Amino acid sequence: MRSGTGAAPVMTRNPVVIAGAGHSGVAVAAGLRSRGWEGGVLLIDAENELPYERPPLSKELLKDGASDESAVLRKEKFYADKGIDRLAGVTAESIDRDSRTVLLSDGTRQAYHRLVIATGSRARPLTVPGAGLPGVRSLRTRGDALELKRLLVRGARVAIIGAGYIGLEVAAAAAAKGCEVTVLEFQDRVMSRVTSGPVSRHFEQLHGRHGVRFVFGAAVTSIDGGQRAESVTVADGTVFPADVVLAGIGVLPNEELAADAGLECRDGILVDGDGRTSDPAIYASGDVTRFTSPIDCASQRLECIQNAQAQADRVAAHITGQAAAEPEIPWFWTVQHGVRLQTAGVRHPEDQAIVRGEPSDGKFSVVYLRKGRLAAVDTIAHLADFRTAKRLIAQGARIDPALAADPGIPLSEATSGTPNHSDADLAAARS
Amino acid sequence: MSNTSMSNTAMSSNTLTVVDREGATHDLEWEPDQSMMEALRDNDLPVLASCGGTASCATCHVFLEQDVFSTLEERSEDELELLVEAEGYRECGSRLSCQVGFSRDLNGVTVTLAPED
Repeated sequence: MRSGTGAAPVMTRNPVVIAGAGHSGVAVAAGLRSRGWEGGVLLIDAENELPYERPPLSKELLKDGASDESAVLRKEKFYADKGIDRLAGVTAESIDRDSRTVLLSDGTRQAYHRLVIATGSRARPLTVPGAGLPGVRSLRTRGDALELKRLLVRGARVAIIGAGYIGLEVAAAAAAKGCEVTVLEFQDRVMSRVTSGPVSRHFEQLHGRHGVRFVFGAAVTSIDGGQRAESVTVADGTVFPADVVLAGIGVLPNEELAADAGLECRDGILVDGDGRTSDPAIYASGDVTRFTSPIDCASQRLECIQNAQAQADRVAAHITGQAAAEPEIPWFWTVQHGVRLQTAGVRHPEDQAIVRGEPSDGKFSVVYLRKGRLAAVDTIAHLADFRTAKRLIAQGARIDPALAADPGIPLSEATSGTPNHSDADLAAARS
Repeated sequence: MSNTSMSNTAMSSNTLTVVDREGATHDLEWEPDQSMMEALRDNDLPVLASCGGTASCATCHVFLEQDVFSTLEERSEDELELLVEAEGYRECGSRLSCQVGFSRDLNGVTVTLAPED
C-alpha cells in the first residue's frame, strides 16, 4: 500500500493519517483504536500543545482567576498507550492522490492508506479597512483566548462585532471583568441565525442587566487608530471608541487542502454518510465538511462538538468495516452570564415557534414545529425538555401546539394522535 | 466539577469494575486525574461523552450501587434534569459519570453502564 516516495516520518503498516487534531481528528484516532484498527494512526497537529477542548476557550478560560490551561481532550499517556503517533506543530500542505502521500510543512512526505481531513474551521476575517490593526482579535485557538484574556482588563472599552455564540460569550466574560462592552450586530437581534425572537430577547435582557450595550443594524465600515485600534465606525457614521475589537462573525471551513487536491468542495468538503470525500481513500470529518442531513435531507455544515464526534465515529466505523451508531440529532450549547442555552435540532426560520413557560422566570423552552412535527428545541436553563425533545425529534413526533404551550404538561405527553414516522419513512429519509 | 478533584497525582489508582450493556464485566484502572467518565472512555468502554464532560448530554449515564451513591455529593440541577429524562433513571443510583471525580473512597466500586436512549 505504501508508496516509496520521500522519507516518511512514521513507517507503519496501513497508516491512517489524520490532518487536524481538534475534537474530530482526535475522535477519529481514538475511534479507530477502540474499534480495533491495527494499522498505524498518525495525527498531524498544527499546534504544539496537547489537543484541547475548545468550548471553554470562550467561557471558563476568559474568567478572572481561571487557569490558563484548557482541559486536554486526552491525556498524553493515552496517545502512547493507544499507539497513536502525533506530529505536533506540523500541517498537511498538499495531497498527492496518485501516490497516496501527503506533503507536510516540515518538508517530509507521509504515505497514507486512508487520509482523514479534519482541519476544522477558522474565524471569518474582518475585511474592512483597519481590520489588521493591533487590538483587533478573533477567537479560535487557545492562543487567541489567552491573548484576549490579557486584553480584557477592568475599564477596557470592548467592541464586539457580531452577536453570535462567540461574540456573546466574550461579551459576558468581558462584562464580568468590568469592561465597557458594546456589541455591534448587523441583524436586528442577537443569535438571529440560530434562534427565535423570544430567546433573542431573553438573552438581550440578560446581557443588558450586566451592562452590555447592543447596537443593531450596525454595518461596520472601518476600524480606525494610529498604532492600534482606537474606534469602530459603522455605516451611519457613528464612531464607537474601543481599546479591544473582537470579530465574532462566523467561521470558514479549512477546505483548501482538499480543494487543491481536486476533491469536491462547496463551502465545506462534500462527504457522504460514511464521511468519504469524492476520493474513496480520503475521508473528512467535523467542521470542515458539508453533508446531507440523514434527519431532514438538508445540505448542511454543522459547527459543533456533537457533529465533530458523530462524524468521527462514522469515519472510524467505515475504515474498520464496522457499523456506525445511528445518526444523532445535532445539538449545541452556549453559556452566557451563567445561563445555559441548549439546542437540539436545526431550526428553520419558518418553523412554528411555541414558547413553553415564562421567560421572566429565567427557565423556559421554545419548541419548533415543521409541518406539525417537532424539528428543534431551545432550552433555557431547562434541560428536562432538552433530552425529551431530542428523542421526539429523532422519532419525527407530531406535536399538539396547544398541549406543547402548557409547561405543566411534559413534552412527552404533548404528542398528537397521528402516528410518528414509520421505520420505512426513516429508512427512506436516510438513504 | 462538583465532586472531589485530585491534585496529588502521585496517589495510586483505584480499581473500577464496570458492567457493560451486554452484562459483561471489566476491571479497569481509574487514575487520580480522571473523572469516572474519562476512566470509562479511555479504557474503550462504549461511553460517547459527546459534551466532553460538561454535564450537557447524558451519554455517560451510569448506575452506582445505592450505598456508594449515597456517599457522593448531591447532583447539580443540570445533571438531575438530564438524568430524570434518561432511559432507566434511578433516583438513588443514576449519575453522569463525568460529574463523579476520583476519590479514594470509590476504590473497588462497581458501576453499570445505563442503556442508551
